[in-house]
Amino acid sequence: MFSSKTWIYYSVSLLLLFGAVTFGLFYSSVTVPVSHILHIILEETAGWGFLDEPPGNTTAIIWEIRLPRVLLALFVGASLALAGAAFQGLLRNPLADPFTIGVSSGAALGAVFVIFFQITIVGLGAFTLPAVSIVSGFITLMIVFGLVRLSSRSMAIETIILAGIITSAFIGSIVSLIISLGDQNEMTQIIYWLYGSVGMRGWSYVQLIVPFAVVGSLLLLTRYRELNALALGEEAAGHIGVNVQRGKVFILGGASLLTGAAVAVSGTIGFVGLVIPHLVRLVTGPDHRHVLPISMIIGGAFLISADIFARTIIAPKELPIGVITALIGAPLFAVLLIRNRVGKGKAI
Amino acid sequence: MIEIENLSGGYSRVPVVENVSLHVEAGEFFGLLGPNGSGKTTLFKLMSGGLPVMDGKVLLNGDSVLDMNQMQRARHIAVLSQETNVSFDFTVEEIVQLGRYAFQKGIFKALSPYDKKLMEEVMEITSVTKYRHTSFHMLSGGEKQRVLLAKALVQEPEVLLLDEPTNHLDIKHTFDILDVLKKWQEERSLTIFAILHDLNIAALYCDRVGLLHEGTLTNIGSVDVLRNKNKLAEIYGVETWSQPHPTLARPQLLMNPRKKEERPVSLFDNCTVEQDEKAVSVSFQQPLRTISNGVAGEGIQWIKHFANFHVDKNYDSWTPKNDVENWLDEKGFPVEQSVGMMTAVKTEHAVIKREVLNGIAFLVVVTAGTGNAVDITHRETEIHREKIGTINTLVFADAHLTDGALVNACMSAAEAKVKALHDGEVKDPLSGSLATGTSTDSLVIGVTQQGERTSYAGSGTFIGRGIGYMVYEATMEALAVYRSWKEAHS
Repeated sequence: MFSSKTWIYYSVSLLLLFGAVTFGLFYSSVTVPVSHILHIILEETAGWGFLDEPPGNTTAIIWEIRLPRVLLALFVGASLALAGAAFQGLLRNPLADPFTIGVSSGAALGAVFVIFFQITIVGLGAFTLPAVSIVSGFITLMIVFGLVRLSSRSMAIETIILAGIITSAFIGSIVSLIISLGDQNEMTQIIYWLYGSVGMRGWSYVQLIVPFAVVGSLLLLTRYRELNALALGEEAAGHIGVNVQRGKVFILGGASLLTGAAVAVSGTIGFVGLVIPHLVRLVTGPDHRHVLPISMIIGGAFLISADIFARTIIAPKELPIGVITALIGAPLFAVLLIRNRVGKGKAI
Repeated sequence: MIEIENLSGGYSRVPVVENVSLHVEAGEFFGLLGPNGSGKTTLFKLMSGGLPVMDGKVLLNGDSVLDMNQMQRARHIAVLSQETNVSFDFTVEEIVQLGRYAFQKGIFKALSPYDKKLMEEVMEITSVTKYRHTSFHMLSGGEKQRVLLAKALVQEPEVLLLDEPTNHLDIKHTFDILDVLKKWQEERSLTIFAILHDLNIAALYCDRVGLLHEGTLTNIGSVDVLRNKNKLAEIYGVETWSQPHPTLARPQLLMNPRKKEERPVSLFDNCTVEQDEKAVSVSFQQPLRTISNGVAGEGIQWIKHFANFHVDKNYDSWTPKNDVENWLDEKGFPVEQSVGMMTAVKTEHAVIKREVLNGIAFLVVVTAGTGNAVDITHRETEIHREKIGTINTLVFADAHLTDGALVNACMSAAEAKVKALHDGEVKDPLSGSLATGTSTDSLVIGVTQQGERTSYAGSGTFIGRGIGYMVYEATMEALAVYRSWKEAHS
């Protein structure tokens, strides 16, 4: 079914992911031998420990701190990359990403609200945070689309980005308002959270994101044909048999789920959804059948790697992971924007 | 096949298209014509599901198109629009493959062997196979449109809806696209419903056309609907002239710009006559409306240069048209703006007469040789045409004639020539009877198209009488010159 080239793409991406996971577990201020890491993971998951018991605190470091951290980075990275790829396909806009079109800030507003006011919706429990994030992200998306529709007839690339920036700026000020209402300590905490981080979250956050990541991914991965067809534009996609309205609902819903859940557990980590699908597309071509899953894999590997940087580059202090992704992503975003202007109509 | 019944619809609450009813046969190429804003695109969108219908039905083989979902509709109807931007760097093959969207089955929605075979076939027909792995963005406009056509054709549609598919294309690519369509239409009895901008393209390709005017369909019929000058003027607000296509039984339209062309004031002021041993020629600064049977420049044309070349009486060539064109070129006359003819008579002997009769200026040039005189009414068993003994007549007049009047003018000139031959007692050597002409006579009528436009130039008109008088006089004189030269050389 796949060409040999495609097998190579998948093999290489999985190898990269495996490498990132291994490195993420292994590399830190406290070095633990690989054999110990393997032992701990096997012991904890399958009861197959093959070594003498490693020191108890090593088990705690690997199992309670590093593994959830790596997995959280994996899920967040995969979610954001997949959401970005889907937004780009749907909006026919290579510059779209949850961050640039404002969904991330919308989701962050919801999350800040929940965290700040310690809200728990009855029946949702701990899932209040991701649920509110997802809904507020989706509402923000609708506001952005509304702005675009009101300001121009076409869904022009620049207009969408501009509407995203306007909305983000507005939401940013609301977040600032909420923060300024709190005390010094809360302020630092929330600001730090907003920069984005996957550290010190533990298993509970992994549990929070997994169901949304799975559902959102399934929603999007099964829509690759619709996303390919949408490259022709909505009208032409309809002409070849695509139910565009239903497709849009699925895709926007899935992408909002992924973004909202990712923001809820890790704050606003920008540009992952922009950079990764773009790079993947450069290698694999634009067919969403492969762009979507490979973006997920590479997105996970990328965020794990970014997290390794974030926690080691100024160790023992940690950088927010969003700083790393923005440092890489923002210049690339600029390059893409320029190329888009120069080669108007050309693919990116 | 397609049955549109009382269809109305448009944007918001105001119907742009009102109460349109139309029947399109299976395998027919129907062209929907009309000016900008007449509702063509609205009607198109109502049919393709792009706009909600307010009232009426669209039936395909009796089934309501409006009740089908996108998937069902795509299995019957394909659409090719005027311009489609494709985002991302998809290859040609990937774009074509999208046409099979509505047909893919199973969990993995993979292409079946049939899908693949069909794609190969269609890419071959649309000549895009060689670009299959090329990025769509790298192609030219015409190539892109062929790819999108291939995408539409792999839907194996019964009906193809076209929305000005050749709008941005040059002539070659326009014809490439439409020829492929015509081929599919005929081979697969594809029904084509096309919005076309270009009335002449429509006249060439459509089996039937309909004119849409302010949301209402008027004048449905064969392409001869386009010959209805008054209707087109009413709908488009432009004066059109219908002309027959030179080789196809279809009309072509010509349009008049509102600003009138500047024309010469006088026939005589405007012309240069040259006469030497090689040729006698007349040139005008402005082209004349001309009808002729010259070796070069035949038919009805706008012509500036008229030349009658001398050739040896034993001249024999397989390519007389090439020869004449070469001679025109040597004289510095652009071939497209010239009429060229030939004669064995010495061109220094040509008779040139200028006169103003009843206010009409005439210029007539005649060369006459009667070595090959024929009585056209004699029942001949052999056709002799090897010798070049010719009467060439060039008539120029300050008149404004219709095409019909040009034919009339030819009759007038021919009648005068016959009278001259009779009065000069020229005989057909085979039958011994009075000749009516020679076997290779040529005639040119050129008019300045000034003044009142008239549809007659026969013996009942001053122009006809003028032609008759001038041709008769000139021919008589030319015959006399010819005879005296003959006598001197025998």
